[in-house]
Amino acid sequence: MEQFESLLTCCVCLDRYRNPKLLPCQHSFCMEPCMDGLVDYVRRQVKCPECRAEHRIPYQGVQGFPTNVTLQRFLELHAQIAGELPDPTAGQIMERCNVCSEKAYCAPCAHCEKKVCEDCKSAHMEVLRREISRINNQIRRGLNRLQDILGIVERNTTNLQTNCGAVSGEIDEIHKRLSKALKDRTDFLRTEVDRYLATELRNLTNLKDNLELELSNIQSNCDLADKYMNDDTEWEDTELVDTKEIFLKTVEFLRNFDYEAGDYNRRIRFIMTHDPNQLVMHVASYGELNITQPNAYAGGMQQSQGLTRSKSDHRLATQFRQQEEAKGYTENDEPILGGRKFGERRPPPPERHTRDYGVTEDYSGYESEHRPSRRIRSRFVRSHLQDNDSDTEQPTRTTKVEQQKEKEKVTDTEDATKGPLSGIFRLSDCPRVMQRILDYDSGKKKEKKEPPPPPKPVQPAPQPRRPPPAQRQQSEDDEISRLKRQNKGAATSQEPDRPAPRAQEEERNTTTRKPPTPAREASSDGESDESVGSLQRNQRKTAPAPVTKPPTTTRRPSATEVSTPHRAPARAPSTESSASTESSGSAVKHTGNERTTPATTNGTTGGAQRVQSRFVGSQRPTPAPAPAEPAHEDSETSSEEETDSSEESEEEPAPPQRKPESQAMTRSDIGPLLARSTNARNDALENKTKETPAPTRYRSRQPTQPEEEPPAQRYGAGSSYNRYGSKPKEEERTSSIDDETKYPTARSKYLALKERRNRLARSKSSHTSFGVGDDDDQDDPVSPTTASPSAYLAARYGSGTGGSELSRSRSTHALKSRESSPERPTTGEKDGAALSSWARYLKNKYGSRGKDRDTGTSSSTSRRLSLGLPLRAANELASSDDDSKNAAGSPISPTAATAAVAGFAAAGSSPRSQYLQKRRLQFSVGSRGSEPGCFTWPRGIAVGPDNTMVVADSSNHRVQVFDSNGIFVKEFGQYGSGQGEFDCLAGVAVNRIGQYIIADRYNHRIQVFDPQGRFLRAFGSQGTGDGKFNYPWGITTDALGFIYVCDKENHRVQVFQSDGTFVGKFGSFGSKLGQLEHPHYIAVSSTNRVLVSDSNNHRIQVFDVNGRVLSSFGEEGSEDGQFKFPRGVAVDDQGYIVVADSEKIIEYKCFEVKYKEETKAV
Amino acid sequence: MAALPRRIIKETQRLMQEPVPGISAVPSETNARYFHVIVTGPEDSPFEGGLFKLELFLPEDYPMSAPKVRFITKIYHPNIDRLGRICLDILKDKWSPALQIRTVLLSIQALLSAPNPDDPLANDVAELWKVNESEAIRNAKEWTRRYAMDN
Repeated sequence: MEQFESLLTCCVCLDRYRNPKLLPCQHSFCMEPCMDGLVDYVRRQVKCPECRAEHRIPYQGVQGFPTNVTLQRFLELHAQIAGELPDPTAGQIMERCNVCSEKAYCAPCAHCEKKVCEDCKSAHMEVLRREISRINNQIRRGLNRLQDILGIVERNTTNLQTNCGAVSGEIDEIHKRLSKALKDRTDFLRTEVDRYLATELRNLTNLKDNLELELSNIQSNCDLADKYMNDDTEWEDTELVDTKEIFLKTVEFLRNFDYEAGDYNRRIRFIMTHDPNQLVMHVASYGELNITQPNAYAGGMQQSQGLTRSKSDHRLATQFRQQEEAKGYTENDEPILGGRKFGERRPPPPERHTRDYGVTEDYSGYESEHRPSRRIRSRFVRSHLQDNDSDTEQPTRTTKVEQQKEKEKVTDTEDATKGPLSGIFRLSDCPRVMQRILDYDSGKKKEKKEPPPPPKPVQPAPQPRRPPPAQRQQSEDDEISRLKRQNKGAATSQEPDRPAPRAQEEERNTTTRKPPTPAREASSDGESDESVGSLQRNQRKTAPAPVTKPPTTTRRPSATEVSTPHRAPARAPSTESSASTESSGSAVKHTGNERTTPATTNGTTGGAQRVQSRFVGSQRPTPAPAPAEPAHEDSETSSEEETDSSEESEEEPAPPQRKPESQAMTRSDIGPLLARSTNARNDALENKTKETPAPTRYRSRQPTQPEEEPPAQRYGAGSSYNRYGSKPKEEERTSSIDDETKYPTARSKYLALKERRNRLARSKSSHTSFGVGDDDDQDDPVSPTTASPSAYLAARYGSGTGGSELSRSRSTHALKSRESSPERPTTGEKDGAALSSWARYLKNKYGSRGKDRDTGTSSSTSRRLSLGLPLRAANELASSDDDSKNAAGSPISPTAATAAVAGFAAAGSSPRSQYLQKRRLQFSVGSRGSEPGCFTWPRGIAVGPDNTMVVADSSNHRVQVFDSNGIFVKEFGQYGSGQGEFDCLAGVAVNRIGQYIIADRYNHRIQVFDPQGRFLRAFGSQGTGDGKFNYPWGITTDALGFIYVCDKENHRVQVFQSDGTFVGKFGSFGSKLGQLEHPHYIAVSSTNRVLVSDSNNHRIQVFDVNGRVLSSFGEEGSEDGQFKFPRGVAVDDQGYIVVADSEKIIEYKCFEVKYKEETKAV
Repeated sequence: MAALPRRIIKETQRLMQEPVPGISAVPSETNARYFHVIVTGPEDSPFEGGLFKLELFLPEDYPMSAPKVRFITKIYHPNIDRLGRICLDILKDKWSPALQIRTVLLSIQALLSAPNPDDPLANDVAELWKVNESEAIRNAKEWTRRYAMDN
C-alpha cells in the first residue's frame, strides 16, 4: 500500500498527483505548480526531474503535455478505496497571489480584499491579530473614558431627576397659585352677581307689590265711582270735591306714571379685563420650560409637549457629536463591520452577494444559523446609512435600537447586545465567536482559534472606533513583507509601525461604501430565530446595555418602545436621504416630506429613491449633522407610518439585493463614468496647472496645432462648458506652461511647425485683408468651431495694416502668443503679450458666450465666409486633430471619405452651399494590393497631429501612414496576436501626442503605438465585462486623451484613459434612444460630443462625453438624411458631421445643443 | 507565519519519522527552512568517527532550486573549501526537484567517502590529495579527529 501510495505521489511536491502530466520520458508530474516550475522559459524546455531528460514544451505550454490518465484513474481508485475526501483544491485553479504574486491556490482575503495565497492570508491574519490586540489595548486604555462618561451620565441622570422634580414642583406651585387666584376671583364674581340679583329682585318685587296695590285701589275707586257717583247716593260737597281731587290725582298719576323700564332692566354683564381667549392662552401656556443649555444633560423638559423623547435623543446626539467632532473623529459614518455580520466575508462584488458567505469550511457550520445573508446585510447597511446621516451614529442608533427591539423581535444575537451608540455588539454573543470559543475551549481546533475574542465591553462606543485610524496606521505591506521575511528566516527585527493611514482609510472607505445598503427591518421576520438568538435576546432583555439604557429609560416617559417598532423602515430612508445629501436644515424638510410621501410612493420607487440617495450618500462620506427635528417628527408620526413601513418592509429586501448591482450599475453606466471622467479631467486640469507630468497629453499637441481653438472654446459647449469654462485662464496658463516646458526640448520641431504655421497664417491673412469691416468684435458671433482667435486676430490686424507681410508676422505673433513660446521675446515681446492677453480675452468671451452660441453659429460662419475668412484650410483641418483627426474611414471608399473630410474650400452663405463647396476631391491614395500604399479592405482612417493620414489596412494587418499629400510614409504591424501584431484591425486613432491607438479587431484588444510605430501597450481581451471587447471597431480619442472604443458585438462604447484604464461604458443592445446595435465608428467633436454610427439601426447617435444620449438622427433609407448601415463618422471643426453611408456620404451640420440636419449632400 | 510549502512540511516530517542512518537534520525553531544537520563520517573513510555539522537552507523557490548546504565543521576534503562550501553537482546545475533533503545529505555523505580531487574546490587539498593521497588522508583524519570528534 505504501508503495502504491508513493506511486501516486508527485516527486516534486511530494503530494498526491494533481492533474498529472506525462512527459515523453514517461515521468509524470503535477501540472501546477510542479511542471510549471520546471519550465525553462528561455529555452522553452522542461527538464525531467527524474531522468534529466529535456523535452521541448508544446506550443500551448505545459498543459500541452498529455495528462497521465492511467495515473488519474489510479488516483481516483485510491481515493475510493482509502475513502479520502476529495482534494479541496481539486477544482481550483492556481492564480497569482495578488500580494506576493506567487502562483498558488488563492482565496479572497478579507483583510486586503484581494485574492491571496494561504501564506499571505495567514500573514494578513497575523497582522490583523496583532492589530486587534493593539487596538484592544487602546480600547482598554480608553475605556475609562467611557466609564467616566457613564458616571457623568449617571450623575446627570440624578441631576435631571432633581432638576425636573424641582421644576415640576415649581409648576405645581404656580398651578396652585393660579388656581387659587382663579377660584377666588370666580367666587367673588359669583357672590357679586348673587348680591346684585337679590337687590334687584327685591326692588322689583316691591314695585310689583306697589303697582298691584295701586291698581286695586284705582280699580275700586273706579268701581265705586261708577256705582255710587250718581244721583242715587248723596254725597257731601266736600266729599265730592275730595273725590274729584282724588280722581284727578289718579288721572294725573296715571298720566304721569311712567315705569322706568331701564331702571329695572339693567343687565349685569361679565366683562373680562383681558380678552378671554388671550387669557386662556396665557393660562394655557403659562410658564415655559427653558432648557438652559443644549449641552446640559438635565433640563426641565418633561411636560412641555414640545419636548419629546426623541428630541432629547437628538439633543444628546448633537452633544455627542460635538464631542466627537472636537476630537476629530472622522470615521464614524461607517457602519460597524461595514455592514456585515460578524465573521462574514466582506460583501463581494455585486453578483455574488446572494451567495451564502460561510463557504470556507470553518464557517460552514454557521450557515444554517444565519438567515440569508442578504437580509442580514440589508439590515446592517440600513443602519449604516442611518448612521451616515448623523455623523455620530448615536442618535439614530438609539432610536434604531428601539425600533429593532420591538419590530424585529431581536432575532439576531448580534443586534441583541449591540451598543446603541456605536453599533458595536458583544463579540462573545456572536454565534461565530461562540463557536470559536467553544472550539478553543474544547481544544479541538486549538491552532485555529480566533483572535482572542477580547471580551469587548458591550459599548466601547466612541473609543474603540476612534482608535482604529490611529492604530491601523502601520503599513500593512511592511507588516506582511516583514512577516514573510520572518518566515523565510531572514529574521528582521520588528519594524516600528509606520503610519500609512491614508491608504488604509481609503481602503476602509471603499469597503464601507461597498456594502450595499439594505433595509434593517428585513430581519423583522423572526423565522430564523435561532436558539442562540433568543437566548441572547433574553439575556439582553434582562441585562440592558449599561451605558445607554439609563438615560433612555428615564428619557422615555411612556411606552414608546412599544409604539415605535415599525418606525425603522419609513424612517430610515428619510433620514438617510436627507442626511446623506443635505445639511441639517434641509434634512428637516426632507424628513417632513418623507413623512408624507411614503404613503404615496410604493415600495419599489421608494426603494429606488433610496438607492439613489444612498448612492449619493455613500459617495459622499462627509456626514451631515443630525438635525434634531427629523427624528422628533418621525417619532411623532411613527404611528402614521406604521402602515407604509410595514408595506415597505416587505418590499425592502428587494432594494438591498438590488443595491450592489444597481449601485455598480448606475456607477458603471453613466454616473460613474461621469464622475470618473470628470475626476480624471479635473485631475488632468489640476495636474496641468501644477505642471506635473500629466500634461503630456497636451504638450506636443499645442505646437503642432496652429489653428487650435482656445480651450475655453473647445470645451465651451453645453454642459461640458460648465466643467471647463470656469477655468479658461488656467487652461491658457497651463498651455503656455506646457509649451514652455516642451519647447526647449523640441525646438527644432517647433521651428518646423512654426514655418508651416507661418505659411498658413500667410495664406489666411491674405484672405483676412478683406476683412476690414470686421471691427466689431462684440457682436462677432462666437462659433466654437470657426473662431480661431489667431486667425481672427490675424484678420483684424491684417486688415489694419493691409500688408500681408505684416499680417503674417502678426499672425505668427498671435500664434506664438497663444502658445507663449520661449521664442516670442525675440520677435516682439509687447506685441505678443498684448496679443496673448487679447487672445485670452477673446477666449474668455467666447467661452462665456458658449451657451447661446448655437444661435449665432451659422450666421457667424456665413459672415466669416462673406468676409472671406477661410473656414479652414484642408491641412488646418488635418492638423486640428481635436475633432477631425479621427475621421473614421468609410469602408467602401476611405479615400473618398478622406477627401470629403479634407477637401474644403468654402465660400457661400448657407451652410449647405458652404458645405457643398468643400467636397472637391483633392487626391486619392492607393489601390488594391498589399504593397506599401496599397490597401486590402482599408477600414479606419485618422489624421495625426502632424497632418499625417493613418489608415488601418485591415486585411493586410497593418497600419499605413501617409503624409498630408498622400505620400506613403511608413507602415507597421503584421499578422498575428503578439505585441504589435494585428488581426484584421479596424479603427485607428491618433492622440495628441501622436500615439497610434489601434482597435485590433479579431484580437479583441486595443494596441497603442508610439509615434514611431513601436508597440507601447495593449489592453483588453475578448469578453463582455468592463474593459473587454467583442470585435472592437471604431476608436477615437477626445481632447483629453480618453479613448472611445466601439465595442461592436457588445453593442456598446467603452471609454478608457489613455493608459488603458477602463473609465466607463455606455450603450446596450437595442434600437431605443441611447441603445446601439453594432456600433461601428465613433468620433468626438470639438464640443465634446460623441458621435456613434449606430450601424444596424441606420442612424447616428450623439452622446455627451459622459455617455448620456443627446440625440440621434437618420433612419433607414436611401434618401437624403437616411442611411443604410452608416459606417464611418467624423466631425470637422465646424461641427459638420461626415457620415460614410454604406451607399453614400452624407454630411450634417451639427449645432451645439441639438444636432440639426442642415446640409445634405451625396 | 506564512505557511510552508507542503513539500517542505512533508520532507521535514519524513526526516523526523524515518531518519537516514548517519544523518540528522533538524529544522531550526525559528525558521523552518533552516536545518541543523549532522552527518557522521562514513565508514572506511578518513572522516570515519567524525560528526560533521552542516547547515542547510531551503531557498524560497525550493524545490525548484537546490538547497544551500554548507559545512560548519572544518573538514579536510578536496571538494569542500575552508568556508565549508561544497562542490557537488546536484547542489548546482544537476539539481533536480525530484531530489530531496535526504538525498542531498546522502550525496554529501557519499562525497565524504569518495572525494573527487579532479573537481576541486579547495585547491591545496586537492593538490595534496592527488600528489600524496596518503598524506592527505592523514590530514583528513587529523582534522576529523581535531574538529569533528571533540564534542
